[in-house]
Amino acid sequence: MKWATRAGIHIDRAACAWLIRRAVDPGAEFVFVADPAEVPADATPFDMRGAELGHHGGDCSFETVLRRYELVDPVLWRIAEIVHEADLDDERYHAPEAPGLDVVLRGLSMIGDDTHTLAVTGPVFDGLYEYFHRQLTLGREPA
Amino acid sequence: MRPGQWVLLTYRLPREPSSPRIAVWRKLKRLGAAQLGDGLVALPADARTREHLDWLAEEIVEAGGTAGVWVARPATLAQERDLARTMAAARAAEYEAVAAEAEGRGELTEAERRRLLRRLRGELRRIQRRDYFPPPQRRAAETAVARLRAQDDTERTEEHTA
Repeated sequence: MKWATRAGIHIDRAACAWLIRRAVDPGAEFVFVADPAEVPADATPFDMRGAELGHHGGDCSFETVLRRYELVDPVLWRIAEIVHEADLDDERYHAPEAPGLDVVLRGLSMIGDDTHTLAVTGPVFDGLYEYFHRQLTLGREPA
Repeated sequence: MRPGQWVLLTYRLPREPSSPRIAVWRKLKRLGAAQLGDGLVALPADARTREHLDWLAEEIVEAGGTAGVWVARPATLAQERDLARTMAAARAAEYEAVAAEAEGRGELTEAERRRLLRRLRGELRRIQRRDYFPPPQRRAAETAVARLRAQDDTERTEEHTA
């Protein structure tokens, strides 16, 4: 399937793309557009104004994707808290990792185009997933 | 030199219920947006400010209001400078409050000092996130908060040499 989002991706869009590939559509193909009017007819838009998969009721797009596809994995919801705080910084959650992740993602987006950003941030989120998965299984900080 | 780009949000929200109005007002305050008029606010344009105002517009529409996001340029440099000065003055006052708290502490216990340091660091970070035209008070507030921390370092060094 084709998925479209705004060009110049940052944390919420990078995280959504990773999530879509991981939990919704393993064969997902991403296109980046400058204006909502440029979204191809056969693509599902995300993290754009007017899109179903956008910010709603105080949620960031990552949380909206989790809700829309009924993903209940607690590890993904823990990552959602970090993405939410890195994106919105509204102190809804206690996510001390957020400012650090925000800087890492901003930096990575500066050294290449959007396709590059997706390629290099994928392993960042894979690693976060593994870390919080172990933390949840162990019930304490993994070594 | 020409004036830079600004992103403007025009919005209108029903008087009642008041909670969406308050939520929007809080978010604008957190972003450090300049109030240009009734239902008109501005921020210097960059990817982050543009995105924040885009989502705020979406939120306003969802709450039954109307909103638009514009990218614009002040017609004159003087107008831009006035705007930047107003925003810098608002941040300066916030930095001064942080510095005063950091310096005006009386005798503090170790635990109190650490708690104050943690809170002021958070406050400083929040102000810096909305500081687009850093006033000199920024540096002063950073120094005042750093001095709270320095006592930690001094103690550690003393332990080391003891």
